Amino acid sequence: MIRLRPFSAIAAIRLRVLCLSIAVWALLACSEKAVDDGDLLLVTTTSVRDSGLLAALLPVFEEQTGVRAQVIAVGSGAALRMGRDGNADVLLSHAPDGEEALVASGAAVSRTPIMENFFVIAGPPEDPARVRYASSPADAIRRIADSSARFASRGDDSGTHRREVALMKEAGLDPEARWPSFLSSGAGMGQTLQIAGEKRAYVLSDIGTFLAFQERIELEVLSKSAPSLRNVYSVLRVNPDRLDPVRAERSEQFEAFMLDPETQRRIANFGRERFGRPLFRPLHLEPRPEP
Amino acid sequence: MSPPSIGLLIEITARTLAVCLPALAISLAVGLPIGIAIGRRRFAGRVPLVSLINTGMGAPPVVVGLLVYFALERNGPFGDLSWLYSPQAMILAQVVIALPLIIGITLAAVGSLDEDWDLQVRTLGVPKRWRLWLLAREIRMGLLAAVITALGGILSEVGAVMAVGGNLEGETRVLTTAILMYTQMGELEIALGLAVILVGLMLVLAGLLTAVQQSGRT
Repeated sequence: MIRLRPFSAIAAIRLRVLCLSIAVWALLACSEKAVDDGDLLLVTTTSVRDSGLLAALLPVFEEQTGVRAQVIAVGSGAALRMGRDGNADVLLSHAPDGEEALVASGAAVSRTPIMENFFVIAGPPEDPARVRYASSPADAIRRIADSSARFASRGDDSGTHRREVALMKEAGLDPEARWPSFLSSGAGMGQTLQIAGEKRAYVLSDIGTFLAFQERIELEVLSKSAPSLRNVYSVLRVNPDRLDPVRAERSEQFEAFMLDPETQRRIANFGRERFGRPLFRPLHLEPRPEP
Repeated sequence: MSPPSIGLLIEITARTLAVCLPALAISLAVGLPIGIAIGRRRFAGRVPLVSLINTGMGAPPVVVGLLVYFALERNGPFGDLSWLYSPQAMILAQVVIALPLIIGITLAAVGSLDEDWDLQVRTLGVPKRWRLWLLAREIRMGLLAAVITALGGILSEVGAVMAVGGNLEGETRVLTTAILMYTQMGELEIALGLAVILVGLMLVLAGLLTAVQQSGRT
């Protein structure tokens, strides 16, 4: 038998060359994206990015100040961690307890509420757990748990997930409790809503992301507005001692920009065009528009 | 958020294997015969077919995930299966990713045989039913390269399994989606721990396959 030259050696070399070139290209691509001197690193939550609000506001900010904000969108848990580790200049998040802890620890110097909207509990229109008739959001969660209905949890330590936990505690449930058909997605709001739609599950969502996904998922809002569904977004400035002075100044500029009456008006009007209603209610505009 | 227990890590690792290994087995069972058949025969339309397979070898997993998603979603053509966000959907996506890799590398390995290999085997009077076995032995380096490549491809893949699996705890959460999730949650230490498990798993599996590949080499 003739000994044949194995193909795999050639294949492996080709593969390696290919992988290496991809790696080199990827490294180059990454280095191009690195933050340069004209920038501000804004870490925010996926719900803010997915709503399109920043895309509407940041060009105005850049026009006014010449500062280009680089947006990194992660869950609030990760956003707070990036603030703690000094990997961000300024945060825009919606996890009040974690934010206050960050300020208390000295990692952030200020927590300024900017705007609010609200969470909704959505579910299939058949409403097997009769959430529609719940007396409060906590009662709604209790009904879902008691009837072992499907519930799609974010499960990712985001601001929304923290609210789920708070509601479960308020309902007298163990937040670690897992009733049958409790789903924990560990994914972003959009994907969790899609999972809930596909599995006909109940889900807690911020109103903005819910409206954006409403048509795809065939779920309905079943909750009424309640104080425990209030969702406040705040700007946190990272401690200037941990930052380059220029960046500290820019983060102050950003905070001032978000409080500016003109920006607050933009926030008040954002979403009317696409959803027929505003997605956020600014907290520093007098007189306050109704949501 | 409490860190995951050892039991949870084992569970995620076990589920990763429970998804990847069946996907690999199906891809091999389907891909090897097809690869050998295309590799040995000359027929009209072979070149376009091979270039299609080669394109499939480079198909972006996240695109595969998206297509499988559209096929399986509630109102999609296979929505009645209720496979979306289940391990079956993940296996399906991984088969779509691995199959072109297996076929492509197998047919290339078969193509690297001498033109008169068939003739030699026939001249030696090897019975027909043994010829395929002989062929597989002859190209085993290439075949194992195909297996290692496909396994590496699906074990490390995250875009497709995220899109069609949904990273559901206890159901569709595998190592790659868990690493992504913990990274996004800011739980970088846990993510790193899972990454070590994933790399270790690949190291062990690739090591075993390489040992098989290199054994009997003279």
